[in-house]
Amino acid sequence: MIARLRRLWARIRGTVRHEDAERALEFRDEIEEHVQLLAERYRREGMPAEDAQRAARRQFGSTALLEEDRRDMQLLPAVESLRADLVYALRMLRKNPGFAAAAIGTLALGIGANTAIFSVCSAVLFKPLPYPEPDRIVTLWERQADGTLGEVAPANFVDWRDSSKSFSGMGAMRAASFASSFILGGRSEASRLTGGDVSSDFFSVLGVRFLLGRNFLPEEDRPGVQVAILSYATWRDRFGADRDITGKAITLDDTPYTVVGVLPAGFRFGSAAAEFQPRSQPDVWIPLALDPQHLQRNAHMFRVIARLVPGVTLARAQAELGLIGGNLARTYPDQNRDRSIAAVPLAERITSNVRGPLWMLLGAVGLVLLIACANVANLLLSRAAARQTEMAVRVALGASHRRLAQQLLTESLLLAGIGGTAGLLVALAVTAALAPHLPPDLSRAAASPVGDVRVLAFTAVISLATGIFFGLAPLVGAKRISSGESLKHSVRVAGATHSRLRNALAVAQIAIAIVLLIGAGLMAKSLWALLNVSPGFRADNILTARLSLPPLRYPDNKKIVAFERELLDTLDRRPGVQSAGLATYLPLGGLDNDSSFLIEGRPPLPVGMYNPAEYRPASAGYFEAIGIPVRRGRSFKPGDTADAPWVTVINESMAREYWKGQDPIGSRLQLGPKDPWRTVIGVVGDVHFDGLDGATKPEMYLPMDQSFNTESGPTIVVRTALDPGSATRELRATLTAMDRTIAVDRIQTMEQVVSGSVAQPRFRTVILAAFSLLALVMASIGIYGVMNYLVVQRMREFAIRMSMGATRAEVLRLVLSRAAALIGAGTFLGLVGSVGLARVIMGLLFATAPLDPLTFAAAPLLLAAVALAASYLPASRATRVDPMVALRCE
Amino acid sequence: MSKGRVDDRRKSEVLQGTLDLMILKTLQAIGPLHGFGIARRLEQLSEEVLRLNEGTVYTSLLRLQQKRWIVAEWGASENNRKAKFYSITRSGLKQLARETDDWERISGVIGRVLRLAAEKP
Repeated sequence: MIARLRRLWARIRGTVRHEDAERALEFRDEIEEHVQLLAERYRREGMPAEDAQRAARRQFGSTALLEEDRRDMQLLPAVESLRADLVYALRMLRKNPGFAAAAIGTLALGIGANTAIFSVCSAVLFKPLPYPEPDRIVTLWERQADGTLGEVAPANFVDWRDSSKSFSGMGAMRAASFASSFILGGRSEASRLTGGDVSSDFFSVLGVRFLLGRNFLPEEDRPGVQVAILSYATWRDRFGADRDITGKAITLDDTPYTVVGVLPAGFRFGSAAAEFQPRSQPDVWIPLALDPQHLQRNAHMFRVIARLVPGVTLARAQAELGLIGGNLARTYPDQNRDRSIAAVPLAERITSNVRGPLWMLLGAVGLVLLIACANVANLLLSRAAARQTEMAVRVALGASHRRLAQQLLTESLLLAGIGGTAGLLVALAVTAALAPHLPPDLSRAAASPVGDVRVLAFTAVISLATGIFFGLAPLVGAKRISSGESLKHSVRVAGATHSRLRNALAVAQIAIAIVLLIGAGLMAKSLWALLNVSPGFRADNILTARLSLPPLRYPDNKKIVAFERELLDTLDRRPGVQSAGLATYLPLGGLDNDSSFLIEGRPPLPVGMYNPAEYRPASAGYFEAIGIPVRRGRSFKPGDTADAPWVTVINESMAREYWKGQDPIGSRLQLGPKDPWRTVIGVVGDVHFDGLDGATKPEMYLPMDQSFNTESGPTIVVRTALDPGSATRELRATLTAMDRTIAVDRIQTMEQVVSGSVAQPRFRTVILAAFSLLALVMASIGIYGVMNYLVVQRMREFAIRMSMGATRAEVLRLVLSRAAALIGAGTFLGLVGSVGLARVIMGLLFATAPLDPLTFAAAPLLLAAVALAASYLPASRATRVDPMVALRCE
Repeated sequence: MSKGRVDDRRKSEVLQGTLDLMILKTLQAIGPLHGFGIARRLEQLSEEVLRLNEGTVYTSLLRLQQKRWIVAEWGASENNRKAKFYSITRSGLKQLARETDDWERISGVIGRVLRLAAEKP
C-alpha cells in the first residue's frame, strides 16, 4: 500500500520534473534565438562576429537570472502559496502553544473517540463475513404465527432443500442446544470436545477451502459412518498440527472416527453475533447423518443456511420459499400450520442484536465531535479577535479575501490534521483498553483499528470535515472587513458577528451536552433496572461447571444417575458445601429446550395446537443450590427415580397460565401421547432464563432420572461458603477421586454468568456515560470561553459601572445572568432534542420510560450547575477589576 | 528567493510594471509577435531607453502569461525560423484598459503636482 503510494508519487514528481525540464529547454532556445538575432543585426552593421556576439549579450542582460525567474514563476502558484500558508500556520501554532494544545487536545479526544467507535462498527457491521461472496449466504428459519423465527425441523429442512431452486446449496447444522459433544479419548486427561453436526452441504454453502483434506462426501452423511473434520484449534492444540492427520482415526466417545479434513485457521460460523466468535466454535465436526426413514417434523433443532444462485435476488428466493412453505403447511397441518419460511441474510442476522446499540454509540460520539468542533471554533474566534488588526493590515496591503480565507482554512486544516493524527493515537489506546472488556457479541471488533482502511479513511474524512467546519467560523466575520470601511470600524463589525456566533456555539454545545447526558442517564437507569431484576435465583456463592461423562462408561440413564447421586452425596458431605444439584440447562446459560404437554382431564387441543413449556431436567438439590424458592408443595428428592412415581415441578408462570387460580398440585400431565403421566408435586418461583430483560415463561422441571434422554453433559451447581478458587479445587478433587475420565469445563460462578448476560448493555452504558462526561467538560469549557471573552471585552464598561457605584454583587449578577440566558437557551433546545432522542433509543431501554422525569430533570440541573460554575470564574474576575487600570488601558 | 537579489528587484519593479503595460499595448496594437519583435518595437518607440537588459522583456512575458493576460504559441518567424508568438487575451485587453485609465489619471496628477512644485519658488 505504502510502496504503491510512493511509486505513484515518484511518477507524478517525475512527470512534473520532465515537463519542467522540457519547458526550460524551450525557454533557453527562445532566449538564445533572441541573442543570435541581436548579434546578426550587429554583424550586419559591420561589427566583427566576436564583438557582435558580446554586444548582443550585453544588450540582452543575464540569461541566468532570467532562467531563475522562470523557475520561480513556474512553480504552481497555488502550491507555492499553500506551502507559505502552511509554514505560516505552523509558526502561528508554535507562537501560541496554549491555543495549539487546547485545540489539538480537544480534536484528538473528539476524533479519537469517533475513530474508536467507528472501528468497532467497522469490524462488527461493515466488515464482510469471512466467506467468498458472503452477500449471497442466507439463513432460513421457520417463522411462527407470532412472527418469531425459530429453528427448523429436520423433515422441513429436507423438503426445503429438495424443492427449492433459488439456492445453489442448502446446509443444516444442529443448534447449539442439540449439538453433539464428545470425550476425546486416548490421552491422560479427559477433555470434552464440542461437536458441530452438519450436513455435507454445509461447508460448501459457506465456500470453505480446507486447510487439509476435504469436506464430507454426501455418502458419508448418513447414519453409521464415523468421519470427522477438525477445527484448526483442535488440530493444532490436540494433534500437534499433524499434517498427515487425514485418514487417521481419532477416538471420540471411545469410538474411532476417521479424520477427513481440517478447517482453515480463520474459519468461524454462527448465526448470531454472540455465536460468531472463536470461543463458541465447535472443536470437531461430524456429519448430521439424517436417517431418511425417520425424519422428524416436530423437533425444531436445525440452523439452516443456503447460498443464493447468482442472479437470484433475496425477494425472488423468498417468493419461492413462500410457495414451498404454503405447500408444507397444507400437507402437514399438524406440524406446519401457521408456519412459514423466512430467509434472512447471514450478515444481517449476525449483526441484528448489535446494530441498534452501535448506531446509537456512533451517533453519540458524533455529537461529542460536534461539541469539540464548537470548542475549537470558539478558540479560533478568540484568536481571530486578537488577529483582527493583523487581518485588517493585510487587507489594506492588498491581500484578497480569498487569499485570507485560504490562509485561515489552511490553519484550521493543519490543526485538524494534527488533531486527527493525535486522534488516531487516542483511538489506538482506547481500543486497546476496550478490547478485553468488549461484550461477546462485539468481540469481532477486538482487532486493532489501524490496518482497517475503512477506519483510516473515516478518520481522514472526519478530520477534514471538522477542519472545514470550525475553520469557517472566523471567516464569517472576516468577510466584513471590506475596503470601503475604516479599519477600526470593520474590526468592531466583525467583533459583533463573532460574538453572536460564539453565543450560538455555546448554546449549541449546551444543547448537545444535555442530549448526551439525558441519553446516558436513560441508559444508566435502564442498566440499573436490569441489574436489579431479581433473576429468580440467588446468584451469590454459587459455583457452576459442566461435566462430561464418557458414554461407554456411562451408557444408560441408570449408570449416569448412579454417578450423579454419588457425586451429590459426596459433595454434600464436603465442608463448605451448603447444597449441590445438577441441571441440564443453566439460567442465562444460552442453552434451552421446550416441549409440548397435555393436562389430564382437559379436552384435547385442536389439530396443530399445543401447550408449550420450557423443559428443564434437574436433580434433587438443584432448587436449594441455585436458590429458586419452592412456593407450594415440594422440590425433588433423591427418591424421585425412574422406578418411583413420575413427577414434575412447575413454575408460577405455568401454574398461572394453565391452571388459572386452581391448585395445580396433584394434577397430572404428559409430554406426549406415549409419555407416562407425571404428577405435579410442587410450584417454584419464576426464573429469567433467557436474560434479565426477557419475560418469564412457563417452565416444567423433571427429575433427571425421569427425563427423555438423561444428558451426559449436565451442569453442576454448588452453593458454597468457599471462595471460587477453593471451591473449584474442591470440585475437581472430588471428581478426580470418583472418576478421572470425566471432563470438567465452563467453570464459572453464577455471578459471572449473570454479569456476562448484561455485558452488552453495561458496555454501551459505560461508553455513553464517558461520552456525556466528555461532553459536559467540553461544553463547560465552551461557556467559560464565551463568558471570559465577554468579560474581557466589557472590562471598561464594568470599570465604569463600578466607579459609578455599582456593587460587586451587581456586576456579578450582570455577567451571570448573561451566562444563565445562554445556559437556559441551550437547555431548552437540548430538552427538545432529547425528546426526539428518547424516541430513537426507546428500543434499547429496559423498564425505563423514554421521558423518565428524573433523568430529564437531573441532567439539565447537573449541566446548569457545572456551566454556571464555569461562568463564575470570569464573572468574579469582572468584579475584581480595578477601574483605574481598566480605564487607562485604552 | 535569495536575499541578495531583493534590492535589485526593487529598483526595477516600477519599470517592470510599465514594461508589462507597454508589452500589452504593443500586442494589442500590432497583434501576435515574438519576443525579439516585441523588443524591437519597444526599442523603436522608447528611442533606445530600453537598450540595456532586453532580457527583462521575457520576465514580463512570463509574468503576463501567468496572469493569463497573454498566451504563447509556436509558429514560424519571418525568416522561417521556429519562434514563440505572443498574443493578448480578452482579460489582457481588459487589464490594458484598466491600467491605461490608471496611468492617465496618475500621470495627470503627478504632472499637475510637479508643475505646482515648479511654480512655487
